[in-house]
Amino acid sequence: MTRPASLSGALATIAAALIAGCGTAAPAAHAPAAQVRGSGAPLLATSLVTPAGTWAVVVMGGTAASHNNFWQLFIRPAGTSRWRLVTPPGVPDNGGLVVAGGGGQSVATALRPSQYLTFTPLTRTTDGGHNWSSLGPLDAALANTPDALSAAPGSGRLLALLTDGTIKATAPGSAAWHTLVTRHMLAITPTGRRCRLTGLAAVSFTPAGTPIVAAHCASPGVAGILAASNGTWQAAGPAVPAALARLHITVLRLTRTGNATTALLAAGTGPGASILAAWSADGRHWALSPPFRVHGAALTSASFGPGGAAAVVMTGHHGAVITMGQAWKALPDLPPGTATLAPGPAGTFQALAVHRATLTIWQVSAAGTAWVKTQAIGVPIQYGSSG
Amino acid sequence: MPGMRSGLRLDDPTVAAAFRSALVHQGLIALLIFASLGLVWMSVRVYPRRPSLEAGPVAGAASAALPEPAWRQVLRVGFGLLWLIDGILQAQPQMVLGLPSQVIEPTAASSPHWVQQLVNWAGTTWSYHPVQAAAATVWIQVGIGIWLLAASRGPLSRLAGLAGAGWGLVVWVFGESFGGIFAPGLTWLFGAPGAVLIYAAAGLLIGLPERFWRASRLLGRLVLAGTGVFLAGMAVLQAWPGRGFWLGTTHGRPGTLAGMTQAMAPIPQPYALSAAVTAFTGFDEAHGFAVNLVVVVALAAIGAVFAAGRPRLIRPALAGLTVLCLADWALVEDFGIFGGLGTDPNSMIPFALIAVAGYLALARAPAPALIAEPAGPEPSPAGWRDRLRIASVARSIASASIGSVASAWAIGLIIFGAVPMAAAQASPVADTILARAINGASALVNRPAPPFSLTDQHGRQVTMASLRGKVVLLTFLDDTCSVDCPLIAQEFRLAGQLLGADSRRVELVAINYNPLYNQVSYIRAFDRQEGLNGIPDWLYLTGSRAQLQQVCKRYGVTVQVLPAGSMIGHGDYAFVIDQAGHLRQEMGFDTGPGTQATRSSFAAELASAARQLLRQP
Repeated sequence: MTRPASLSGALATIAAALIAGCGTAAPAAHAPAAQVRGSGAPLLATSLVTPAGTWAVVVMGGTAASHNNFWQLFIRPAGTSRWRLVTPPGVPDNGGLVVAGGGGQSVATALRPSQYLTFTPLTRTTDGGHNWSSLGPLDAALANTPDALSAAPGSGRLLALLTDGTIKATAPGSAAWHTLVTRHMLAITPTGRRCRLTGLAAVSFTPAGTPIVAAHCASPGVAGILAASNGTWQAAGPAVPAALARLHITVLRLTRTGNATTALLAAGTGPGASILAAWSADGRHWALSPPFRVHGAALTSASFGPGGAAAVVMTGHHGAVITMGQAWKALPDLPPGTATLAPGPAGTFQALAVHRATLTIWQVSAAGTAWVKTQAIGVPIQYGSSG
Repeated sequence: MPGMRSGLRLDDPTVAAAFRSALVHQGLIALLIFASLGLVWMSVRVYPRRPSLEAGPVAGAASAALPEPAWRQVLRVGFGLLWLIDGILQAQPQMVLGLPSQVIEPTAASSPHWVQQLVNWAGTTWSYHPVQAAAATVWIQVGIGIWLLAASRGPLSRLAGLAGAGWGLVVWVFGESFGGIFAPGLTWLFGAPGAVLIYAAAGLLIGLPERFWRASRLLGRLVLAGTGVFLAGMAVLQAWPGRGFWLGTTHGRPGTLAGMTQAMAPIPQPYALSAAVTAFTGFDEAHGFAVNLVVVVALAAIGAVFAAGRPRLIRPALAGLTVLCLADWALVEDFGIFGGLGTDPNSMIPFALIAVAGYLALARAPAPALIAEPAGPEPSPAGWRDRLRIASVARSIASASIGSVASAWAIGLIIFGAVPMAAAQASPVADTILARAINGASALVNRPAPPFSLTDQHGRQVTMASLRGKVVLLTFLDDTCSVDCPLIAQEFRLAGQLLGADSRRVELVAINYNPLYNQVSYIRAFDRQEGLNGIPDWLYLTGSRAQLQQVCKRYGVTVQVLPAGSMIGHGDYAFVIDQAGHLRQEMGFDTGPGTQATRSSFAAELASAARQLLRQP
């Protein structure tokens, strides 16, 4: 029997088509160049100082399933040396917890939604976290950044940055939210066009109560900070040194500390990237720190203390601190699990290290070369309660 | 832990019992049908033949036909047995709930999005009526198997092949996600292009008209050539650089093939099988290049021989393929049926059967002798009216073989299996057995519903007394809960939709669990989140901390304020209250896995409870 000559050819074509159509993985999307900022939302771990004390936010619990990771709020009350757990009850906080000091004893927190929850509950304490009272909810998800919520000094007015780039605000004395501005509206302002605004990173108030916004700018050498001024938004960021003018500048943090506004900037990407701190008393004129080379390490937390002090935690157990007007100072290798640094009672920063449900507080030794354990707190994590 | 959802165990006793019961009932009816068919057949055969019965045409009588060729016998019997085994494997109790989550969805996980969507649609469809779907699958596959085994020739036999092909394609698309041909990592060693596609191909060959039997050699040539080209293609794919098959390990981890076999070994199975797979994994890790070289060379060589069609070489190549298939079946595919939720013996046996059938078709010429059927008068042409006469039908039945009777029974099994599934799937509402499996049966009570006076989402006061005259479906929801409360809200919303016009006489009511986030603004935010703000018969009630604690206590609902960022701890409940304000049912309302099917099932249970009360005088 003879085989039709075209048979093998036809079958081969079919087989080739079959092979060509299968077993080919989709091409991987181009990953962005390495940034100073770490992956995920590590910067939510932070600390801040208010008249009530020093507050620290860290994530604890499981490592594999996000619904077993719970964000915790701790306070070291002013004038004391011991930390205690003050996480607001009543809301699952697997999505993250953002704290804003409103001046005086008042501190507001926003509980970022997770799983099926889509709006953002808010709560406030005026007694150092002993009691919490709920504030009206934000009817959308708060942005995943530690400076997504800010409270104006004195008036209790709140600013919130949402995931969709909308900035909401409350009027003084009111719990009702209204839209202050959106990413799109900012992008089409002359300032937004100059910076080629691509996104928003933070909201804050100047010490005078003026709303300011940190934005991602595509234009090199521009630190995207905009301030509300006479019904419009003006560039208010620091001018970066000429040496950094060609680099991409990212505003990592923007927050009010006491009577100043403090920003943390990243210049460049990859191994050559560096970070800078910036301070302003009026939200317009800035003092810049010298750049601090991070040598490819990723930033996992940034914290602020009194007197313009700032501290950063980076991958590889690296940490550094700076005080306004001084140079960055590297810390001894951080203890394992260090989630954030927080101003300690002795004026130096403490390391807050997390291992599952235990928070350990470390203090730099007198010699400044090692860390000494000062306190450990067991947290009653309710594993499985959110899943 | 209060407030957390539970899963739905694959071996859930409620579902397993319902499945067993369905199989037993349907099996008994199938046996009854078989017995009836057999009785009719035997009665007609032994009944004294009257002349009028003998005078008419007898279907198939006096016709001469070719004997069934060996290649077809191999395919028919081989795949008949395989379908039978598949059907029996489908009768595992875990298959009812496990097929979508443990078989269908994981198979599709690495396929493109459109495949996942298609397959997940099928999984969801199955999940709505899992008992009916699982029972139907058993009967359809058992039916096809019996049909293939029983019908050796004639239109019924061909139809059996085509039925196998059709069902095989359905299973290939939805059960095997197109055999994974659109997913990365495709390899013949692990079953590409899908075992059931081979079943379908075999079904098509069995379904060929008898005139093709005379051209067996050509058919055999075509089958072997096709198999050869396919194997050669698979060899190229196996050898393709960058797919990881040349490496035993990568970065200290098992390579592509070793990784696949390593994942098979821990599946619960006899130790000897697990040990063999583990040993092969270790061997491949150590000699990955050599293993792949042997596979590539063997596939390419066998493929080339089959495609070239050199008769002298085909027999050794077939022997080599059989050995390769058996080795792969044991060491790589782990026999396919042990442990987990194996639904077929995977691809190697079907593949070998196809190749053997091709060889037999090529090597064995069709028998020249004709088989003469029992002689009878020359049939005269008869119209359909003549054929429907009692005498003609009786003659047809009397002349039918036992195989034809068994085939008729098998067809009955398939239809009998498919009809309840089709009827169930026509309903957009899931079976309430899912809700019962998760929470058990509701408690029937009859006492006055505890009173309350709370504020609704519009700021109006609502009391229990103000709801008199309506059936009340009541639950408790935490307005900042992120897991089960939104699901329960959806179940209530869906129940309202299911009630249709009856919903005017039913009030859907939720009471806020959360004593800390108890402002009206929060329950409004929750309503907006769940799309409940436009539903006229929906009331979400809140109150002061003391009021909420009191009403929870009255309804026996536990609430705990848990520390460390946890949601409010609570159980999940639903209460059914009649028009006179009497509590009539208390339901556990744990949302289980929270799938679309379970939500629908809970909604159906609520709607059914409300309708029951509405029907009462």
